[in-house]
Parts: sequence; C-alpha cells; structure tokens
Amino acid sequence: MVEGHVTISNLEKVYESGAERTKAIDDLSLEVPSGEFLSVVGPSGCGKSTLLYLVAGFLEASSGTMAVDDQSINGPGTDRGVVFQDYALFPWRTVMGNVTYGLEQNGVAKEERRSRAQRFIDMMDLDGFEDKYPKELSGGMKQRVALARTLAYDPKILLMDEPFGALDQPLRELLQDHLLDIWRDLEKTVMFITHDVEEAVYLSERVMIMTRHPGTKKASVEIDVDRSQDREDIIMSDEYTDMKNQVWQSLREETQPEKQL
Amino acid sequence: MDVSNKLSFDRTDAVNAGKSVYSLIIVLLIWEIVTQLGMIHYYFLPPLSDILVRFFEMTVDGTLIYHGYLTVRRALVGLVIACTLGIVIGVLTARNRIASWFFDPIIEVGYPVPVIALVPVFLFWFGTGDLSKIVLVAIGCFWPVAINVRNATRDVDENLIWSARMMGTSDRQLLRRVIVPASAPGIISGIQIALPISLIITFVFEMVAGGGGLGHIEIQGVRTFDSVQVYATLIAIMILGFALDRGLRQVRFRLLNWT
Repeated sequence: MVEGHVTISNLEKVYESGAERTKAIDDLSLEVPSGEFLSVVGPSGCGKSTLLYLVAGFLEASSGTMAVDDQSINGPGTDRGVVFQDYALFPWRTVMGNVTYGLEQNGVAKEERRSRAQRFIDMMDLDGFEDKYPKELSGGMKQRVALARTLAYDPKILLMDEPFGALDQPLRELLQDHLLDIWRDLEKTVMFITHDVEEAVYLSERVMIMTRHPGTKKASVEIDVDRSQDREDIIMSDEYTDMKNQVWQSLREETQPEKQL
Repeated sequence: MDVSNKLSFDRTDAVNAGKSVYSLIIVLLIWEIVTQLGMIHYYFLPPLSDILVRFFEMTVDGTLIYHGYLTVRRALVGLVIACTLGIVIGVLTARNRIASWFFDPIIEVGYPVPVIALVPVFLFWFGTGDLSKIVLVAIGCFWPVAINVRNATRDVDENLIWSARMMGTSDRQLLRRVIVPASAPGIISGIQIALPISLIITFVFEMVAGGGGLGHIEIQGVRTFDSVQVYATLIAIMILGFALDRGLRQVRFRLLNWT
C-alpha cells in the first residue's frame, strides 16, 4: 500500500505582527488517508492556503500536531510536494533544469536524472520544450512543468494550492483530467485547495468545507461517483449534482453569513 | 522576447540606425561650419576637423592609449572592489537580521553623499597616487551596487525559496542555488549603474590630482590653452565609456538570456 497518511489534530495558527494577533486556523483536526484525493474549499481568507503551507512545513503551527505516517512535520521535506498557483518555477532554469532540480538535490546521477525527468516531461506533453525557459511558456504549460517538477522527485503527498486558478476553463478541465490520471497511476495522496466547487467535487473523493475566518473544518462531503465514466456523464448525473449542491450550500452559508441570522 | 531577434541585425535595423544619427550629423556639420567661418573663438570651440586630426595623432603616438589605460585600470579595479564588497554586504543585509540592523542605516546615509567631495580628504590620507583614486572609486561605486543587490535579494519571491526547500535544498545551499540566480538581474543592474560612476570619479580625481590618465591630460590642455587637446581627450573618454557600457550590456544579455 502507498504511504502518505496525513494526520492533523487540534491545529491552530496565529499570525502575529507587532501587537496584532490574527487567528487564521482554529482547532482543526483532519485525517487524510494514504492515496486519498481530498479537496479543501472555503470562503476567501478562511486560511485554506495557510493550512496547506502548514502541512508543507513552510509555516509553523502555533499549537496542535501534524504528522505524515506518524512522523511529526518539522519543516519542508521531500515526502511532500507543493504545486503553487503562480507556478514558482525557477526562471533561470530550462524546463529540463526545473524538472531535474529535485533529483539533483537528492544526489541522483546525471544520466538517471535526465531519463527520470524525461518521463514526467513526456507525461505532461511537454516533449520538445525541454530547453525552453519558463518565460517562453504559456500559463498552462508552466503549470504542467511545475507539476512535472514536483512529481519527478516522487513525493508521497501532493499539496496543491489553487493550481489551475489562473487558467481558462478549457485548459483547466484538460489539466484536471490530466491530474486525475496521474493520481490514479502514481497513487499519491492529494490535498487540493480551491475556491471552485465544481472543480473540488469533480476531482475529489472527499471535499472538506472550511468555515469563514478563523478557519476550521465545517463539514466533509464524500464524493462517491463512478470515475470510469467520461466527464460529461459524471457531471450530468443526478448524484453528482446532489453532492455538488450539498457542498455549494454549505459553502454559501459561510460566504453569506448575514442571511443565516 | 525571442533570443534570435535581438542578435540579428537586418536591413530595417540598419536604416533605423541611420535615421537616428541624422540629427547628430546635422549638429556636427553646423559645428564645423560655424567654427570654420570664425563665428566662435577658436579657444572656446575649435573646428571638429581639427579635433579629429589631433585625436588621430594622439592615438597613433600612444598618448591617448597610455592615459586611457591608466584611467580604465583605476576605474575598473575600484569597480571590482566595490562589486565584491557591495554584493557580499548587499546579500547579507537582505538576508540576515544583524547585518540589516548594522548596514541598512549606513547605506541610507552613505548613498546620497557626493563622493567627489571626499577628493581633498583622500589627498590628505592617501596622497595623489593610484591608491587614492582606486579607494575613492570603490567607495563611490559601493553604494549603488550594495543598494541594488540588497533590494533584489530581499525581493526574491518567497515561493521560489519554498519550492527549493521542499525539494531538499538546505539553508546553506539556498544562497547559491536560488537567491543569487534569482537576484542576478538586480545585481547586474547595480553594476551597470556603478560603471559610469567609476569613470566619473576617476576622471575628476585625475583632473585635481594629476598622476596621468585622461582627466590629467584634459586639464593639461586647459592649462596650456590648448583647447584642441581638451576636446580630443573628451572624445577618448566618450568612446571608452560607451565601449565599456556596451560590453557590460553584452555580459548582461549573455548571463540573463532567461529574462
């Protein structure tokens, strides 16, 4: 069985700047079993990106515990790979240079590096662009390079921060299907942050809805659809629409709180 | 921006370059005519042709080449010292809290000081020789390099640093693998700003303190009422400044072909 089991308990994150204390995440507990595709949706500013960066080890928790396979998270590690919304590619490195970076850091020999990187470059339909610099690529291609770069060093867990947020609809759908293929083939645990309900429900096995500021877990909806079908068939089905509405309703309560009162 | 576009030089480029020098040619022609007609006193502004002849003579007999070498050597040695210190201190100031506490105020105060005002002080301290000139160039060029390096290094996208760290880059490797390449455009901009400053300081110092160099032979022209020599030297320094600036641009273009 694949590894990459994430356990988060009673997580709290407070940002302090001077005398001001802002609580971003409040008492959040979450379990992501290995191999699961979990999406996190929430109103903007609810701390969903903060949650992701905490799991990534970029930020330090104020209290609570986080662990991957019973190993407490203590800074960034190669067992987790982040895909950023703005790609965060190294502009001074070519496509090949970006994809081999992680392997280089982990001491993989040059030949081996290139052949492994090539596999992911091909997987992302980027062959022929190996020697291009990021500035020469479109947004969709940059995101594919970023994904290939992260996959190449083989993290157990993919942490994705609205990775397709800046792309147009057709491109986004294309990359969503691409991601699903990869997730199935490579057996990764995925934590996917998005504000797009459609995207969350289409991609995930489970969607977690977060409350508004300070963010914590509000509800969690299991998305149980037959993924062997085509996108159209999935989206048109009644059960899918029901689940989507459920997530949407739950999220709407958070974005329009005054109507609740 | 395509790389090949920038290096090729086709017919339209040639025509455009031609067009852009028309105005210059007209001004130079007016200069020649007005001075040949004696409308301006020879001492103020000799005819261009006289200056060009003298420039040619002084180049062939080696005068301009020798003194040009002295000037460029002082300027570049000072510039290299300034760049070395400026890059190290600029990076440190941006990434280290103690260095920032120490150097930030010094840089803020030091940057706007007109370094030329220190020439007399340096004459006291170091005399009129090369050392004096080189140290002053180094000080004058240090500020723009340090400030540009500091700002560029401080503004490196946090996501790039995070990306590198998640792929196993240690804090120690981070500087060489990510921070320096990411801030390379700002670092080179600082050097490009410092280059003409290095020439200005050297030139002025040579005028005041002598010891050879283009600044020295220009002021010599004034002292001997030889205005043709003054202008011929001016042409030499213009050519040198232009060539060095172009050279540095080429370096930038080569190193930063990814921008």
